[in-house]
Order: sequence, then structure tokens, then C-alpha cells
Amino acid sequence: MIRHTPFVRTAAFRTHCRRVAVGAIALVVTAFATASAQLGSFNPLPGPHGSYAIRNAKIVTVSGAEIPQGTVVIGANGRIVAVGANVTVPSDAKTIDGTGLTVYPGMMDAGTSMGLSEIPQGAAGTVDISETGSFNPNAQAMYGLNPHSAHVGVTRVVGITHVASLPNGGIISGQATIVNLAGWTVPEMEVVPRAAVVINLPRSGFAGRGFAAFLAAQQQGSSQDAQRARERQLDSLRQMLRDAEAYGKAIDASEKDKTLPRVNRDVVLAALVPAVRGQMPVIFTADRAADIRAAVTFAKEMKLKPIILGGGDAYQVTSFLKENDVPVIMTGVMSLPRREDDPYDVNYSGPGKIQKAGVRFAISAGDEGAEVRNLPYTAGMASAFGLPKDEALKSVTLYPAQIMGVADKFGSIEVGKVANLVVTDGELLEAKTNTKYLFIDGRPVPLSTKHTELNDLFKDRP
Amino acid sequence: MRMIRHTTLLLGFASIANAQQAVAASGSAPTLIKNATVLTVTKGKLEKTDLLLQNGKIAQIGTNLSAPAGAKVIDATGKYVMPGIIDPHSHMMADAINEGSLSVTSMARIKDVLNPTAPNIYRALAGGVTTINILHGSANTIGGQNAVVKLKYGKTTDQMLFPGAPPGIKFALGENVTQKNRVVQQGQQRRYPSTRMGQEEVLRDAFTRAQDYKRGWDDYKARVAKGEKNLVAPRRDLELEPLVEVLEGKRLVHAHSYRADEILMLLRVADEFGFKIKTLQHVLEGYKIASEISKYGAGASSFADSWSYKIEAYDAIPYNNAIMMRHGVLQTINSDSDERVRRLNIDAAKLMRYGGLTEEEALKTITYNGAAQLGVENRVGSIEVGKDADIAIWSAHPLSVFANCETTFIDGEVFFDRQQDLASRAKLEQQRADLERADENRPARADQQRRVILP
Amino acid sequence: MRSRSIPSTLSSSAIAAALTAALATTATAQLGERAIPGTYAITGARIVPVSGPIIERGTIVIRDGLIAAVGATVAAPADARIVEGAGLTIYPGLIDGLSNVGVPAARQQGGGGFGGLFLAQQSGPQQPPAPSAPNSQHPLGLQPELRIIDVVKFEGDALDGVRGAGITTALASPRDGIFMGQSALINLAGGTAQDMLVRSPVALHVGFTPLRAGGYPNSLMGVFASLRQMLLDAQRYRDLQAAYARNPRGMRRPEADASLAALVPALSKEMPVIMMANSQREIERALDLATEFGLRVYIAGGEEAWMIADRLKKDNVPVIATLNFPRRSANTTDDADPEPVRVLQSRVDIPRNPGKLAGAGVRLAFTSGGMGSMADFLTNVRKAVEDGMPRDQAIRALTLTPAELYGVSDRLGSIEAGKIANLTVVRGDLLDRAGRVTQVFIDGRPIAVRAPAADNGSANAASGTWTVTATFAEGDRTVTLSLTQEGERLRGTMQGALGTGEIGNGSLGANGDLRFTATVTLGGTSEEATFTGTLTGNVMRGSIQIVGHPNGTFVGTRPDAGGRGAGRPQGQRPPQ
Repeated sequence: MIRHTPFVRTAAFRTHCRRVAVGAIALVVTAFATASAQLGSFNPLPGPHGSYAIRNAKIVTVSGAEIPQGTVVIGANGRIVAVGANVTVPSDAKTIDGTGLTVYPGMMDAGTSMGLSEIPQGAAGTVDISETGSFNPNAQAMYGLNPHSAHVGVTRVVGITHVASLPNGGIISGQATIVNLAGWTVPEMEVVPRAAVVINLPRSGFAGRGFAAFLAAQQQGSSQDAQRARERQLDSLRQMLRDAEAYGKAIDASEKDKTLPRVNRDVVLAALVPAVRGQMPVIFTADRAADIRAAVTFAKEMKLKPIILGGGDAYQVTSFLKENDVPVIMTGVMSLPRREDDPYDVNYSGPGKIQKAGVRFAISAGDEGAEVRNLPYTAGMASAFGLPKDEALKSVTLYPAQIMGVADKFGSIEVGKVANLVVTDGELLEAKTNTKYLFIDGRPVPLSTKHTELNDLFKDRP
Repeated sequence: MRMIRHTTLLLGFASIANAQQAVAASGSAPTLIKNATVLTVTKGKLEKTDLLLQNGKIAQIGTNLSAPAGAKVIDATGKYVMPGIIDPHSHMMADAINEGSLSVTSMARIKDVLNPTAPNIYRALAGGVTTINILHGSANTIGGQNAVVKLKYGKTTDQMLFPGAPPGIKFALGENVTQKNRVVQQGQQRRYPSTRMGQEEVLRDAFTRAQDYKRGWDDYKARVAKGEKNLVAPRRDLELEPLVEVLEGKRLVHAHSYRADEILMLLRVADEFGFKIKTLQHVLEGYKIASEISKYGAGASSFADSWSYKIEAYDAIPYNNAIMMRHGVLQTINSDSDERVRRLNIDAAKLMRYGGLTEEEALKTITYNGAAQLGVENRVGSIEVGKDADIAIWSAHPLSVFANCETTFIDGEVFFDRQQDLASRAKLEQQRADLERADENRPARADQQRRVILP
Repeated sequence: MRSRSIPSTLSSSAIAAALTAALATTATAQLGERAIPGTYAITGARIVPVSGPIIERGTIVIRDGLIAAVGATVAAPADARIVEGAGLTIYPGLIDGLSNVGVPAARQQGGGGFGGLFLAQQSGPQQPPAPSAPNSQHPLGLQPELRIIDVVKFEGDALDGVRGAGITTALASPRDGIFMGQSALINLAGGTAQDMLVRSPVALHVGFTPLRAGGYPNSLMGVFASLRQMLLDAQRYRDLQAAYARNPRGMRRPEADASLAALVPALSKEMPVIMMANSQREIERALDLATEFGLRVYIAGGEEAWMIADRLKKDNVPVIATLNFPRRSANTTDDADPEPVRVLQSRVDIPRNPGKLAGAGVRLAFTSGGMGSMADFLTNVRKAVEDGMPRDQAIRALTLTPAELYGVSDRLGSIEAGKIANLTVVRGDLLDRAGRVTQVFIDGRPIAVRAPAADNGSANAASGTWTVTATFAEGDRTVTLSLTQEGERLRGTMQGALGTGEIGNGSLGANGDLRFTATVTLGGTSEEATFTGTLTGNVMRGSIQIVGHPNGTFVGTRPDAGGRGAGRPQGQRPPQ
């Protein structure tokens, strides 16, 4: 419940607040937002920026020590302006009594395709996840992302406040974007519009979509053809990256020295320039040890800044990953073992093993959109199988922010960071925990979703 | 020969091998689990409680129980014991899942195609699961017959079939049956039915034929009873026999269904023909018609939170379970997945978040209620004296994501043990290394490739 | 006289062998016309009669296609052509207990029902149609009345490889289907099928491979349901026919049905039923079905029969054990996921199977089991012996036991006077690695043998390790598929991003039509995926159907055979 500080001092009202927490946040919207949630709106709009304080709560800062009872103050700029056991709450702050509640930094899933695919089976018109063809460096997730996807609301109310949304398919799938999960429009949600290039290196076992198309075109095919097809694809990829490097150089040169011949612009190559200059990370999808090695080796050769997405076998190549300082976003923690003889817990225990080996990592739910909300339980499962609890929490807060280069904004409760906060009645990673309050970019977010709306509509139907 | 079987498993799966060794070591020796927190599911939570498993049953529950001679004693201080998880909807360990060629395939039997060696059985055991309901797929309006199985990995199919479980059959409605997603190849026709209207007709037609079939046999039996001689019995029809059993209430119907309208259609047709639907499976829009389902008396088995993967799942909500439960529907969570079956405890915990189930209500959705939906609640689903010793020991409260399953018992035998599993891994690698050296595993020369003679 | 053209590139010994074979064929065919003397005596040879003790040095007299005399003291008749037997061991002609020799490979099965028929009409006449019973009321694949003797054809040198393994007699059996048809026991020399025929029908064959074309039954469940329903219908058919025969007056004439009629001898146990089953669970299912309908069952294949040897012994069920022992494919790739220990273990276990079955007292014959090169036949018999099969029992399993199982032990299977003169002549001992088959006698006629070709396989063979990429609306998923093909049946293991498990319902047609199912876990849900497509060389491709999903597609490749490491992907090395 958010009101001016003097208003919420009575214990009786506090109790009432907790009981009707979900309803209470709706009041916030009515009070502070210009539009109220209607059925079918799916993702009610956040309230306004302003000064907010969460008091008397346990604060799990992630980056520093836990504060058993303290206050977080959010400024009108959307940032955390104060946090601590003894913090002065500005007089104009709207205050939440956090007694019995815990404040966590909002979680981040760096391996989603949020907003790009609403209904994957049987509703192709709702799917914008994968562009035709093999090389699409300019396919930008930010232009396919539907901010009104029902997945957005359902995801954020468990405390996932921001995600990386990735296109997939082909060899160069396109560019991932990092967004806050609240806003009218994509520009309003954007944190890093173009955050990383996504590459699927043709698998060392002759795969890849272009490959399949190549073979399908052949009436007679052999695996040597397949091998050649794969090599040609790798060559094309290499060529395109080298061309992008040369292109960037030529553009820069011609801008500095107007006497040089004018360079014709190329949308596709331009999109790759930051990546080949190491200014933008490249996300390589790879699960098998051989594929991880191949991706890292390729990245080294091309001087790219690699991030491994998938990382199923990362536990087998930890020293290699550490040596090359390559981080891994683990997407398959909940997946079935991929080999018959794998231990039953091979994927559950993967994060624990690579954490122990000192490899930088984050955990992703490994889902495109609808089930991204299982991220906390995914980290919890990793924790049940060897990942220390505090590391499990970091693997869905601070670590993904670090890997994706947004740790200055996200991942912990520190002064100056974006106020993406979740207030819960229990441990963040537990399935039974309820979210009581949610702030994204310092704005209070109502906790209603498509699901709660349908629940409200039908639950008392006689 | 049983030992030979075990040897194979030993060689094939180190993990199960250990479980089997444990069994071999203890035989059917009693097991005393000391000082656990026991989640009985039907009789509350018992702190610091002992549990004696004997002759495959839960023999005693109490404090300071003494171990009978030869009993294995497990100190479960700080640990939790819950009933084995029951998954009411699985397609595990089947060599075939759909006979999708016809609209009615009630003659197909999952029991005919079970694979007791499927590795996913073991992976489910490691999630504390002990009983699953293996259903025919959802390719047709009236699918095949199910099999209820205890996950006694390493045993034969016959030893795994749940003794005395009532037979059932799968029905399916909606998109999967209409096959609108399927590309029909040139020269082939779209299979009937391709609308929900057609699904109603398939049901009506099949049960009309079943009624006539039953009448034919009833007439025949009556004439035999009257002493008529030289009668030739009517043809036995394996398609219609199970439907007659449905009409007679001897076979449980588990009906895959998503949308509220198709569910109501099914309930109306069933009412008209006078048979019962035991469970609605998935029943994602059940919350829209919870009172109708409750009044009709069907159970519901749903996902905890899956949604949006196809159009008919777009209105699925995780509150579905709670709403139906509050309307009095017997509610369970199922996996429909060899992956999710391994962590149904977490799915159950989600229902506390989505809809406010109590701990016990949440646990029931993966234990007792499932037993009731399969008609085996007198045997399994809760921890009570006299019930089958199908239980699992967990490192923490099983509704916590931080818990892992340590030991799984079925009929008092250990079929999964985490410590033994961990200890066996090096052995498996050794075995692989040994086998790699065997002549048979050295690659044949290219000119010795086994090929097929095709004259 | 049939003319044969002999390629000029053949070596002189090959020409000689071919001439001998041609002569033998001609002689048999035209015995009545030309008086080629048909009396032989093999003298001074070691004789293994099987039905009695070994004769270390004795003589066999062959006259008019039969064994006239055998013994240590038998003298060669004056008119006999003498075969000097020093250093030779003479065995009864070896019997391949289940073979597809001479049985044409079927075109894509028309699936059951009208859909299948329709498809068959569409698919054009590129290949000969599958053997099919005219006017059957049951779909192809469920036509037990099909008699293999009506369709066998021997062209070119089809028999050379088989005889080269010392085999003189084979149970020519249908290749495909559910009720596959009825087999014939044939001698492997002669001008026509009728010449060659020893006995037909011998057994009803049951396979459990679903129809590929999509009609009912297209799953193993449907297969069992069909088998049951037809057996039930056959029981009723038998009863109705009997009732009508007793008193046709006043009774409507029961409809004739050749398919059901063909099942009646099996129901009465008069005709054995050979069921194709390899894994323990397949064997158990077959035995259960046999028990349900009171059938006299033989298990063919039986790779894991040793695991339930006690039940086989108790139920007196013989096993026609496969000699097609699996070996790891040479064309594997380092890139493939490692083979499961289960598979590695089975390669070691399968050669031990015959010995274990023999040890348990299970009656045993051998089948070549669709092996690619008949050179493996004796090699693998020897391996079974090295792995524990007693020598005398190995010989018996190649001779007298199959003769007993197929009801011809009064004619074949041992060296006794009066029996058909089918003999396998070996320099050395058949079961020693050094032993060489030098000659066979079939129906009393000597035939020089040629060593079996190393491989006369087909480009369609699917065995090996495949990397398969499946493309769904959900994205691409890559798996490793390890396949084993025997006849048209496909078995195997899938590992990778779609989950792990064995494939089911698999088959591969002669023209490369491929079908199998696998449980895949996609988007968290386990589904049965049906892969249908074609296999050409080292590439397979096609579509994937999952109930409720849009179709997916798949493409798989296998490293090219030959040249180890040919398939080593470049990704294993640092990119250039």
C-alpha cells in the first residue's frame, strides 16, 4: 500500500494492507496512473515515477550484506537513492510498510525471446522470432517485440523485472535487446536496444538451417556434401564478419578524410560493426562440449566477445572457459539429460559445477516467453543440486546483468542502480512465495495479469 | 534367471544397478525410517516420527519404533517423508503412444507396448515419483487403453503393472484431434473429424454402436441362458468391447480436453449415454465451468501453469486448479512430460502461490488425489498404516525448490537412492571403458559393414 | 537350356565355379532328359552325421539325389564318381533357419484400408509391387494367406553367397508385414521354385512392424490390436465354417475369407507361428500373444532371448537365433554423442546368446538375420562357439534342429541313408577359423562354392550413427540417432536435444521409405513424434508429425563409409 508516510502508521491498517496486497497495488494504479487496467489489457501500466520508500523490510542487496530490517528509497529518477538500516525517508515519499517482507533486486533472464512469440503452435501470425534465411545481423528483437504480450505481465509478477530478448534461427539470428518488463511501448521499455548479436555456429555435426535447405535441394546427398555445406557456411560467416570489419574501417576513414571515395552504406554490415570491434558481445548457442569449444575458438579467431548460451556440457570444459574468460548463460537446467548415460541430475548440477570451477555464469529459464516465469525455481533447482543459495540468487540477478554489460544498472540493491525491485513474503526462489510489490524503473507495477484478470472473472462464478 | 536380468541392468545402468544391489542386499527386509517429518497428506504432518516398512507395506507409524530383526535403519533426522508422487498423465515407457490412423482406436492397448527399460523411468524415480498413469496419445476422439504402472525400474512389465488398478481409456477433444495444424500430403485426405462438431458425432456414433453391440451380446446370452442350442456367438469386437465397459462403468475415461465448450459437450454426451468421465485431463479452461464439472462429478487433472503454447491454451491460467478445487472438483497436477514428471513437487508448490492452496492441498494434487482418480487410493497416495510402502525421503520440505529426493521406495524396496547413485558413477565410466575395448565395439572395417541383402 | 552370359573380367576359377553351378542347375532341371550320372561317393572323409556319432573315416554314397549309404565300412559303388575325402569333413547341408533369399523386396506398402490403397495407386510403377494376395479383404501386411513359394525368384548369382556359407537349405520367409505370410523350405539349387521346394507352407510368420503409409495399424499398439482381432475373427470363422459344414441347411452361407482361413491351422497348432522378436520385451509380448491364442510359437531373432531362457524352456519355445551380430559401425564420427553403455553391452551379449540358450536347454536354430555379407554366417557361428555354445549343439542348430522345427527331419538335417543328399563339405572343421567350405551337395548334385562376397549391401541400409537436425516451430533441435537395420525393421537409440530413448515402430522400405517414432520432449511436454521420409545414401530427410503440432522437418546425415574419420567435422579443429 503506498500512501504518504503519515497515512500508514496504524498497525491495523498495515495488517489490512498485507491481506489485500494485490488489490492494494491496483489502488496505486487508480491513484497514480492515467489509465486503469481493463480485462484484455493484460499488462496494466506502471504507476508514475516518484519518491517511494519500502520500510522495515528485510533487504537482500545481493552485492552486499543482507539488511535484516531496513529501508530502500526510490527516487523520481527511477533509481535507488538510499538503502540501509537507518535511512531517512524523504517527507514526500510514498511509503510501503515492509514488515515481514523481503526486498530483492528484480531478476533478469538473459536467454528469452520475450514478446517475439506469443503462441508458437498453430498461430504463426503471433510468432516473429526467427527471420528467413541464414544471415540476419540486422534483425533486431526490439522491432519484433510486442510490449503487450501477455507473457510480459505474467513474467514480471514473479519478480523478473528485465530480460534480454533474443531472436533465433539461421546462422546469424539477429540482435538481442534488453528491456524492462513494463512500459507502454518498446522505447519506454528499452534498456539496451541492441545488446548482442546472436550466432548459431553450424554444428560440428553437420547441422544448421541453411544446411538443411542445401541438402533438401539436392536429390542425391552425401555427408561429404553436408560437410562441404557446413564449411561453406562457416566461410560465409567468416567472410561477412571480415567484411563488416573492413566496412567499419572504411566508413570511419571516409568520415575523417573527406577526400577518400564515398563508401556506400550497407545496413547488414553496419549492424555487425560493433560486434567485430568487440564493443558488443556475441551470443553463441552451444550445448555440447565440442560446440562450445568451436564457438569460443571461432570467437577468438574473429576477435569477438563471446557469451555461450545453453551451456549444457559447460561443466566438461570449465578450465577452457575460464582460461578464455567466457561466460555462460545456462538455459537447460530443467532439461532432461541429453545422453542416455548422463547422470539423472547432470543438468540440475551443471551450474553448481561451473560455479565451483570459477566460470562466470547466469541461469536462464530457457524459455521463449510463457514460462520464463519459472526462472526462480530453475535457480532453486540448481541450488538443490550443489549451487550455494547466495550464488543461485546471484545467477538470476547480478550475474546476468554483469554478463550482458548492464551491471551498472541492474542486479543488486545499491544506490544509483535502477530501482527494479521485488517485495516478497518469502524467499525469492521458492515456488510458493508471493510477490507483494513490484517496482520497475522506479515505478510501481500493478500485480494483475491476464491470469489474475481471468481468475477474478471466473473464480466466484456459481 | 532373475539374477541375469539384474546383471544386465547392473551393466546397463550403474545408477539403477545400485538400487538393485540395495534390494538384493536387503531382499524384502524391513526398513525403519527414524525421526523424520512425515507428511502423511491425509492425516497431517507428523514431526519426529518413525516409519516401519515391512512386507511391502507401511507397517507402523509412531515414535520410538523398534527395528525388527534384520531391518535396515535410516536416520532421517531433519528430513521429510512424503508419499510417492503419482502422475495421472504420462506417456513414459511406451514404445508407441498414438494409434492415430482412425478416429476410434479403443482396441489399442498401452499395456502391449510398455518398455520397462526406458531410462526416463529412473529419472522420474529420482524425483520421488512412484506411480504413473500411462495414457494413449491425443490423436483421436476415442484413443486406446491406458496402463497404471509402479515405477519398479529393473523389473519386468508384469511386475510393474499396478495390481488391481481399474482399466481406463483415453478420449481426446480439440485441436489435437482436428489436426488443423497438420499438413495433409497430396493424395491423402484430412482425417475425420476436423471440427469439434465432428468430435461429438464420433462419440455419439461410437457409443451408439457400442450399445447395439452390447444388445447383441445380451440377446445371445439370454438365449443361451434359456437353453437354446447351436447358437453362434456374435463376433467379438475389440473396438466396441472397451466402450461397453465404459457404458457399464467398468472402465475409467480420462479425457484430454482444453476448452470449456468441448468439455461441456463431452459431459452432455456422457450424461445422455449414461456413462461417467472419471477425469478431464489438462482441462485448461475448467475454471470457466468449474461448477458444471463439480456437479457432474468428474475429476480434473491439469498442468500447474503451462499456457500459451497453442491457441486453445491461451486462456489457461495457473489459478485453474485452485478454482476447480474450491468448487469441489477432485484436482490433480500431471506432467504429460518425462521432463516435468521429475519435479512435480515444485509444480504443486506453485499452486500455493497461484490460488492459495494450503501445503496439504498442494501435496494432495500430486499424491492422494491422483490415487483417487486412478481408483487406487486404498493402496497408495498417503502415508497410512496398511498402505503400500511407496514413499520418498526428501532432504527438505518437498514443496521447497531447495529440496532433493534422497531415496524412493516402492512396495518397501529401494528403487532410487541418491548416495548410491553418486557412488556408482565412476563404475559406469569404468564399465564404458571396458566395453569400448571389447572386440565387438571396435569399429568394423568399412568393407565389413553390415548391409541388407536386397536381391 | 538357360543361357548365362559370363563377364569376361571374371577370373578363370570364377568361371569354373560358374560353369559348375550352371551345370548343376541344368542337370537338376533336365535330369529326365540327359543321363548325367548322379551317383557319387565321398570316400575317406570325416563324417558328422549329427544323428549319430562322428565317423572319423568313412564313406557316403549318394545316388539319385538321396544318401544311399553312410559308414566307416561302406564301399564306393563301382559306378560312383569318387570324391576323395581325405582332409574333408562332411556335414549335413546347413539350414538357414530364416532367410529372405529369393523373396522380392516390397515397394512402399499400401497402408491399411482405403487410404493406403489410394496411396499405392498414386505412387506409380517404378518398383515391383509388394507380394500381395489377390482379392484379399485385408490390407497388405495383414495377409497371412500369402505363400512365399508363389513369389520367390532367383536371379543371377543370388544363391552363390548363401551356398558359399555352406548353406544348402533355407526357410524362405516373407520380409515385411504383420501377418507376413507363410514360409517355404527350399533347397538352394534348382531350375525353378518348384524344383527347389522341400516343404510349403512351413510356418506362419508374424512381424510387428506397423504399416508405413499411415493406415491402420500405424503403431505397435494397433499392430497388436489387429493381430488379436484377426485371430478372434479366425476362431469364429473356423466355428462358422464347421457349423455350416455340419449342416448347411437353414444357415446363411458364411462369407469366405482366405486370410482368416489361413490362420485356422495356426490356431489349431498344426502350423507353427514364427514371431520376429529381439529384445526381451518384444519376446515377452510375442509369447503373451501366443499364450492368449494357444499358438505354437517360435521366436526368430531372439537377441535377448537369454534373458528369459527359463520361460522359453518352460514353454518349450524354440529360438531361431540371429547370427547377424551387431558391430560398431566404422563410419562413426567423433562428433556424435557417445553410444549408451546399454548398446555397447548388447554387442557383447548378443554373441553369447546362443550359448546361453543352449545351456538352458532351449531348442535352437540359426538365422542369417538379414546380414549384409554371408561371409559373416560361419564367422559368427564360430564366434558363438567361442562365446560358449557347445560345438555339437552349434552343428545341430544348423542342421537337425531346424529340420525338426520345420517338419522335415525325416528328409533333412542329418547324414542318414534315405535322406536327401544335402551335404556341406568342409576342408578342416566347420567350427575352426581355418575351416573352408569347398563344396556343397544339394539334392545329390555337387556344387562348387565361391567365397561369399564381403558386402552386397544396398545404399539404403540405415545402420550407423546419424546426426539429425529437426526443425520445428519451436526452433532447431539436433540429435544423434544410432540405427540398426535388419530386413526392413529399424531399431535404434536417439540422444540429444529432444531427449533420450529408443525409437519405435521403425521400418525402411526397399525404395528408401523411412518411418519411425520417438518420444521427444519439446517445450517441456513429451510427445510422440513420427518421422517419415526417405533415406538415400548417407542422407535422410522428411517430415515430423506430432499430434497437435505443425509439421516439422528433419535432415540427417551419416559420415560416409570408408576412410575412417572422413566424417570428422572441421569444427573439431580450430577454424582456419
